[in-house]
Amino acid sequence: MLQLKNIYKWFNTGSNRTFILKDINLDIKQGEFVSIMGPSGSGKSTLLNVMGMLDEPNEGKYIFLDQDVLHMKEKQRSEIYKSHIGFVFQAYHLIDELTVYENIETPLIYQNIKSGERKGMVADMLDRFQIVGKKDLFPNQLSGGQQQLVGIARALIVKPKLILADEPTGNLNSKQGEEIMNIFKELNGEGVTIIQVTHSEKNAEYGSRIIHLLDGRIEKES
Amino acid sequence: MIKNYFKTAWRYIKKHKAYSLINILGLALGIASCLIIFLVVQYELGYDQFYKKSDRTYRVTLNQLDFNPSVSMGVVPALRTDFPELEDVSQVWYRKSALLEIHNEKYEEKGMMYADKYFPEIFDQHWLEGNPKTALTDPNSIVLTESIAHKYFGNKEAMGQFIKLENKYNLKITGVIKNVLGNTHLPFNMIVSFATVENDVKGMMSNFYAIADGSFAYIVTPKNYHISQMQSLMHGFIEKNWGKDIAKDAKLPLQPLTDIHFDQRYLNNTISYTTSRETYYALIAIAVLIIIIACINFINLATAQAIRRAKEVGVRKVLGSTRSQLIKQFLGETTFMVLIAMILGLLVTAFFLPLLSTWLSLKISIAQLLQSSVILVTVLVAISIIILAGLYPAFVQSAFRPIESLKSKPSLTFSGLTLRKSLVVIQFAICQVMIIGTLVVAYQIDFFENRDLGFDKEAVISFKIPDKSKTEVLRNELQNNPGVKQVSFSSGAPVISNNFTSFTSPESGIKKEDVTELKFIDEDYTKMFALKMLAGESVQRTETSDNDSVHNVVVNETMIHKLGIQDPQKAIGKYILLNGSWNATITGVVKDFQSESKHKKIRPCVLLYNKNAFFMVSARLQTSNMNQTIARIDKAWSSLFPQNVFSYEFLDDHIAAWYSQEQKEYTAFKLFALIAIIIGSMGLYGLITFAAAQRGKEVGIRKVLGASLADIVFLFSKEFVILIAIAFLIAAPLAYYIMYNWLQSFAYQINIGANIFVIAILSSFIIAAFTIGYQAIKAGIVNPINSLRSE
Ligand SMILES: Nc1ncnc2c1ncn2[C@@H]1O[C@H](COP(=O)(O)OP(=O)(O)OP(=O)(O)O)[C@@H](O)[C@H]1O
Ligand SMILES: [Mg+2]
Repeated sequence: MLQLKNIYKWFNTGSNRTFILKDINLDIKQGEFVSIMGPSGSGKSTLLNVMGMLDEPNEGKYIFLDQDVLHMKEKQRSEIYKSHIGFVFQAYHLIDELTVYENIETPLIYQNIKSGERKGMVADMLDRFQIVGKKDLFPNQLSGGQQQLVGIARALIVKPKLILADEPTGNLNSKQGEEIMNIFKELNGEGVTIIQVTHSEKNAEYGSRIIHLLDGRIEKES
Repeated sequence: MIKNYFKTAWRYIKKHKAYSLINILGLALGIASCLIIFLVVQYELGYDQFYKKSDRTYRVTLNQLDFNPSVSMGVVPALRTDFPELEDVSQVWYRKSALLEIHNEKYEEKGMMYADKYFPEIFDQHWLEGNPKTALTDPNSIVLTESIAHKYFGNKEAMGQFIKLENKYNLKITGVIKNVLGNTHLPFNMIVSFATVENDVKGMMSNFYAIADGSFAYIVTPKNYHISQMQSLMHGFIEKNWGKDIAKDAKLPLQPLTDIHFDQRYLNNTISYTTSRETYYALIAIAVLIIIIACINFINLATAQAIRRAKEVGVRKVLGSTRSQLIKQFLGETTFMVLIAMILGLLVTAFFLPLLSTWLSLKISIAQLLQSSVILVTVLVAISIIILAGLYPAFVQSAFRPIESLKSKPSLTFSGLTLRKSLVVIQFAICQVMIIGTLVVAYQIDFFENRDLGFDKEAVISFKIPDKSKTEVLRNELQNNPGVKQVSFSSGAPVISNNFTSFTSPESGIKKEDVTELKFIDEDYTKMFALKMLAGESVQRTETSDNDSVHNVVVNETMIHKLGIQDPQKAIGKYILLNGSWNATITGVVKDFQSESKHKKIRPCVLLYNKNAFFMVSARLQTSNMNQTIARIDKAWSSLFPQNVFSYEFLDDHIAAWYSQEQKEYTAFKLFALIAIIIGSMGLYGLITFAAAQRGKEVGIRKVLGASLADIVFLFSKEFVILIAIAFLIAAPLAYYIMYNWLQSFAYQINIGANIFVIAILSSFIIAAFTIGYQAIKAGIVNPINSLRSE
C-alpha cells in the first residue's frame, strides 16, 4: 500500500540542523494494522503526517498505491487523501459550528455526492456507532468518547482504504479507549489498513505490527 | 453545499455575537448612508430633468455687468417673431407670494406665478382636472396644485370656483395639477394666466432694462438644433429689437434648463437656491469613505480572529476541501452578513428618510426606495462590500496549512498586525478629515450669518407698508408700542430688497456707466442698524422727491474706493451722477455693510433720503415678549391696511436663508461624519476587545509583577496614540487642501485656523479613549489569578 524510502525531515534552528526523522524505511501492506510507539518528541506525529501527506519530508521517496506522491501537485495529492485516507485526531477536531450529523456529512459534500445518497450514508454511520440519538447535538454537548466516535464515523464515511489515527484514545479513559480499539479491530477485519500512534502498550497490542521510534529513527519493529 | 455554508455562517454569527454585531451594524449603517446619499444626489443632480423636453429647454437670461436670470418681458414676443423655428417660447413672471381672497377670507400664499398658455407645453405636469392646452389661454384663469386646491376647498370641487388675487383680479379655477416635484428651479403652487396681467405690464414690455424680478423667458429648440448657432444670433437679435447701444453692453445667454440649479453666477436664492455639482461629488466620496471604514472593520476583525478559525480550516482541508472551496465558504459567510446588513440598512433608511428629508429640506419619499435604480445601487454596494471586505480575509484564512492548525497547541504566526494598524490609521484619517471638514463648514456658516455684517441684525423684523400715505400714523403707532425699541422706514433693511442703478463720476474719471446699489432711507436708518459713519453725517429729512435732481447722499467705502479715494474725509463734497440724471453730493461715508449674501463681493452702495420710496418698515424689538409685541404690531397694521395680510420676517432668518445650501451641506457633513466616527469606533472597540482577550495572560503576568492599573491602560493605549498621531499627519494637510478649495467658492471666507486642527486631534483622542478605555480598564482590574489559571 505505501512505501517510505530513506525519509529525512529536519528543521534548521540557527546554524544547527535538528533531525526529526532520520532515514525512515517502511513498507506497509494493504490490510495491516500498524501501531507506532515511542517517547514524546520522537517524531511519531511527524511520521504520521508525512504518511497522510499533510507534511512533506526534506529528503526521501514516498510511494502511495504505486504513485510517487512527493512529486505531485498539491491538488492531486489532496485528491488522493480525499478518497483513500481517513484521519482521526487525539483532539477529535470536530467543527464546533456543525451538528454531529453535519460533521459526518461534510466529507461527502466535498466529494460532490448527491444529497439523497448522503442521507443514506450518514444514517448508516449513525446506526453503526449507535449515535442516532445524538445526531442534532453540537460537539460541545458530547463527551470525549462520543466526540471521538463521531470523528471516526466522519473518517470512515468516505470508505477510506487507510485510516491514520494520532493518539485516538489519548484524551479518553481506558474503557472508552477499549471501545475505539475494538472498532479499529473490526474495521481492520473488513480490510481497512490502519496506522495508529499510541502511548499505550495495551492499545498497541491490537495491531499486527508495532514500530518503535526513538529520536526520529526506527529503533525496532515487533 | 451553499446550504451548508449558510448554516455555518449563521451559527458562527450567533456564536460570536459581539463580533457579528459590530460587522453587521457597521455595514448596515454604511449601506444606509450610501442609500441616503444616493437619494440625495439623485434628487439634486436630477433637478428639472423630469420634464420631457428638458434637454432642449433653455432659459433666456441677461448678462450685463452681472448675470440676471430675469429679462425684460419684451424678450418673449420678440423671440417668437424672430425665431419662428423654436418649438415653444414661454413667458413666466414668478411672484414669491400672493394675496388671495377666497370666500371673503384673505390669505398670503407662496409660489404664485403668471405664465402664458405655452407654459404647459414646456413644463409638462400631471393634470388632474382641466385641459393643459386651454386652461391658461383666457385672462383671469388660475391653475392650482392639488395641495393648494385641497387647502382652500377641501374635498369640494375646486374647478370653476373663484379666487380674488391682489384685491384686483377675479380668477376662475381652470385646472388642478398634481403637486410639482421638489427638485425644480421653479417650484410653484399656482399659475395665473399671463393674459390676466398683460395689459398692466405693457409699459415694461417695450423697455429692455425694465426688468421685473422673476420675469423669465423659456424656449424649447427643435430636435437636432444647434444652440450655439442661435446664441451667436442673439447679438443681432438685441440690436434689431432694442438698438445698437444696448446690444453693445448686453448679452442674452441661453442657459440650459438642467444647468440652472448648478449655475452659481445667477444667485436667485429667493425662488430656489443654486448649488455646485462638486458638493454632490463630495457626498459620493463620503459615501465611499464610509463604506471603506465599515469594510476595514470587517477586514480587521476577520483577520484578528483568523486564528480562531484556523482549526476549522485545517479540519475541512483534511476532510477534502480545496482552498477555492474554503474561499467560497468564507465569501459565502461574508455575503450572508452583508445580506443581513443590507436588509437592516434598507430598514434604517426607510425609518430615517422622512426625518432626513426635513433636515436636508428634500422632497424624497419612502416610495423612492423601491425604484430600480435604488435597488441596483444597493446590490452594487453589497457586491463591492463583499469583494472589498471579504476577499482578503478569505484568502488569509484559507491559506492555513492543516498541519499547523491541527496541532494540539497551534503556534500560528499570522497576525496581520501591520496591515491592521495601517487600516486603523486609514480609518482615523478619514474620520479626522470629516471632523475638520465639518468644523470648517460650521465656522464658515457662523462667519456668514454672524460675523462682520457691518450692521446690527439682532431682533429686527421687516414688513411691508402697502399705503405710503399712512407712514406717519404707523410710525406713531410703532413708537408707542413698548416692545419696539427702534423704527426705521426705508426701501429695505440692509439685506432686504436690493435695488440697483447706474452711476458715473466724471470728476473722478468714471465715464462709463457702472452699477451701484441704491437704498432709500430715513434719518434713523444708520443709527438703528448701527452702521458706522466714517466721515460726514447721515441723511437728513427733506421734502425732496423723485423729480428733484439734486441729492445729498451717504456712500459706502467700496464706492469711495471705486472713485479712487482712500481717506473717507476726502470723499465729502464729491459728486456722482446717479441714474443718468441725479446729481448727488456725498455728505457722508459709511463703513461697508453686508447687503447681499457673502457669496458676492460687496458692491458700491448709495443711501439717500426719499420718503416716496419707503416701502418697508424695520423695527427692532425688545427681546422679551416678542410674540406679544408682534401680535400688537399685527393688530395695528391690519386695522390700518384692512385690504392686506400682515406678514413679517426676521432679518436673522432672511440672512440664514441665503445660506440654506451651506446649512444643508453642514447638516449632511455633521451627520455623515458622525456615522463615520460611530462605525470606526465600533471597529476599534472590536479590536481592543480582541486584544484584551488575547493579551489576558500577559496582563495577568504584568500585574503579578507589580503593574498598576494605569500601566495596563497605558499598555493598551500607547499604540493607539501613535496611530492617531500618524493619521493626523495624513489627515491634516489633506483636509486643509480640500477645505481650502471649498472656501474659495465664496467671496468672503474664514481662515482655517489652528484651533480647528487642535479640536480634530483632541476629539480623535477622546473618542479613542472612550472606545478603548472600558476594555483596557476591564483588563486592568481583573484578578490576575483568573487569567493565569486558565492556562
Ligand atoms: N516547527 C517545528 N520547528 C522545530 N521543531 C519542531 C517543529 N515541529 C515539531 N518539531 C520537533 O519535532 C520533534 C517531533 O515532534 P512530534 O510532534 O512528531 O513528536 P511526537 O513523537 O508526536 O511527540 P508526542 O508524543 O509528544 O506527541 C519534537 O522534538 C518537536 O520539538
Ligand atoms: Mg504527537
